[in-house]
Amino acid sequence: MSAPTAPTEDRAPGAPPRGTKESPGRSKRVPLSAIARRRSLTGWTFLIPAAALIVLVNFWPMIQALFLSLQTGRGTRLSWAEPLWLNYQRLFEDETFRLTMSTTFIYLIIQVPIMLILAMVLANLLNAPWLRFKGFWRTAIFLPCAVGLVSYALVFRQIFATDGLANDLLTQFGILDGPVNWLGQTGTARMVIILGLLWRWTGYNMIFFLAALQNIDRSTLEAARVDGANGFKTFWYVTMPQLKPIILLCAILSTNGTLQMFDESYNLTNGGPGNTTMTVSHYLYNVSFRNSPNFGYAAAISYAILIIVAILAAIQLKVGDKRD
Amino acid sequence: MKNTRTLGALGAVLSLSLALAACSGGDGGSGSDETGGGGGAEDNTLTVWAWDPAFNIYALEEAEKVFQADNPDFKLEIVETPWEDVQTKLTTLAQSGETDQLPDIFLMQNNAFQKNVINYPDIFADFTDSDVDFSEFPESVVAYSTYDDVNYGVPFDNGTAIGAYRTDILEQAGYTVDDFTDITWDQFLTIGKDVLAKTGKPMLTGQAGSADMIMMMLQSAGASLFDDEGNPTITDNEALLAAIDMYGQMVEAGVFVEVNSWDEYINTIVNSNTAGVVNGVWISGSIQSAADQSGKWAVTNVPKLDGVDGATNYTANGGSSWAITPNGNEALAADFLDATFAGSTDFYDTILPASGALANWLPAGESDVYSEPQAFFGGQPIYADVLKFAAEVPSNNTGAYYYEGRDAVSVAITNIFNGTDPKVALEEAQSTVEFAMG
Repeated sequence: MSAPTAPTEDRAPGAPPRGTKESPGRSKRVPLSAIARRRSLTGWTFLIPAAALIVLVNFWPMIQALFLSLQTGRGTRLSWAEPLWLNYQRLFEDETFRLTMSTTFIYLIIQVPIMLILAMVLANLLNAPWLRFKGFWRTAIFLPCAVGLVSYALVFRQIFATDGLANDLLTQFGILDGPVNWLGQTGTARMVIILGLLWRWTGYNMIFFLAALQNIDRSTLEAARVDGANGFKTFWYVTMPQLKPIILLCAILSTNGTLQMFDESYNLTNGGPGNTTMTVSHYLYNVSFRNSPNFGYAAAISYAILIIVAILAAIQLKVGDKRD
Repeated sequence: MKNTRTLGALGAVLSLSLALAACSGGDGGSGSDETGGGGGAEDNTLTVWAWDPAFNIYALEEAEKVFQADNPDFKLEIVETPWEDVQTKLTTLAQSGETDQLPDIFLMQNNAFQKNVINYPDIFADFTDSDVDFSEFPESVVAYSTYDDVNYGVPFDNGTAIGAYRTDILEQAGYTVDDFTDITWDQFLTIGKDVLAKTGKPMLTGQAGSADMIMMMLQSAGASLFDDEGNPTITDNEALLAAIDMYGQMVEAGVFVEVNSWDEYINTIVNSNTAGVVNGVWISGSIQSAADQSGKWAVTNVPKLDGVDGATNYTANGGSSWAITPNGNEALAADFLDATFAGSTDFYDTILPASGALANWLPAGESDVYSEPQAFFGGQPIYADVLKFAAEVPSNNTGAYYYEGRDAVSVAITNIFNGTDPKVALEEAQSTVEFAMG
């Protein structure tokens, strides 16, 4: 998961926050006073180093990757593709890419909603005034996030081994007749990965929700109660709308994280059985480092991921950001 | 206000200089080792990348001592680097052209050697001007690191395959290890079913979705997934079809039990859940980790494929070779390897008993240490036997697309087990590899 980026695009950096929603049209610009100009200059001075670093170490490599994605060849013998978009055209003929993409979307569609709902439920439970030992529960639920991705993937692999803990317990309690080969079948192997993701990331999202819940003005909840709303109605009509921005943030972060998921696929199942649990990022790694290195094509795959993330984020923003 | 501006400027300068410092720090940190090694001609330090402290790093340390006898100021700087990291680092350095950050010597998996030599010729120095006598290594092993008749690697550990069997379990079923010597896979299957019926133990175990077994069978018949020009030959490959068919029969009969991970595989051996192991000789290290099984193992050659031209009872899995880089120290590096890994019986005598690192260098086999009986294997001098096997192993054409081929075949095997027709599955594998090569 990458660090959250603050949604600041609609506000020019350094400009004082605008109270009213005026359009940043150039025609209506009022000349700044000397003090305001100096203040704006100070702001820019503070911003430039960080901005320059981001451009240098983030945007510039992205542009280089774009150029790289237009080249073909193995190892260092790269040449411009003929036609230029050849690698992108290749994506549509690549069975493995299609398979890994659909697997990644299965993870996304099943895991993200379950995780967000679960996180929401947990956050509300933890926020309930009657709950005791809050600190303990909060820590316990958040703790998985402190575990390294590789180590938890390895532990899950152990638990779901044919002679692992899961089989032992389930057969002991008579739920299963015999050991199940969890990681050896496509369906169960994908399920184990989703379980792993849920365990690892639910607490992380819960913390966001919890923070947002604690910022909700109590008077709005009391007002709802005075108006005779029951618990669920209060939650649905008063709490939820106020949580919308944070739900949106979590949805975008999770979508982004799931589409770039690598560790679980690599360490838990190693893409097996028959590549059916492999994620796109895992495939991307194989194309670059395991197979005969094809960096042009690998760059094209990463741009495909970027485009999909961008589209999904745009849709989520559109759906979630209905201001009334 | 003036203050604020000064502060702002200061902040800008500070953070920039911090960033610059971080950059130069990174360069200096990783570069200093190399400049230390490659600084001057009179400098006698070599940097090496290898991955296993109990195995190849230990061998390096011993080699350093051997070479120091004649070159007292010689020093090795060994950087422990897991194999995946070696590959990633080499790829990244070669791709970005930062070849001055390479070590002087690195260890490479034999299966990945061709891929790297073909794609990144700049990171390899060849052994043409060195004194290393490659005729003292088995031909099939030298072939891994030879490209266009030029040698790029000194073979290190031996991947010769052994059939190791539990004599106590075989005895319960009324067999001895001789019943498994020079046999075919068909005979193996028949005996295996009998052993399973009488003892309840499978003959072999292995990782599901791994093509290791298939690749070993393939190489035992001198076949591979690519022809001499490097084109994939996955369809219409008689040896491959025979290998997959046999593998399927064994799994179906329960003679070969598939597990999901490497740890589970090792556990089946250590926990006596299998009557045998067929793998590279390096597996003997894991076998011997079960001290309570001492004296209960015997080693012989592996079964051969029936009805396939050129089938033998000898094959290999894995193994690695030393490569040198063109960083100014290649002469010293080649001398070092020549005097140790390709020229010192004493050296191999030291590392064999301590780490089980079996030589590929044939003269080492004449030493007494190799013919010493091994108590764990019932007094059998297994290392001398394995060296005899090693000379018989047919060579395997890996090419630059070995991993693509192998992964595609793994997927095909999974699909075949799930009911896909073998012919169709292999055609899919062929087109996957062709696509990857295109």
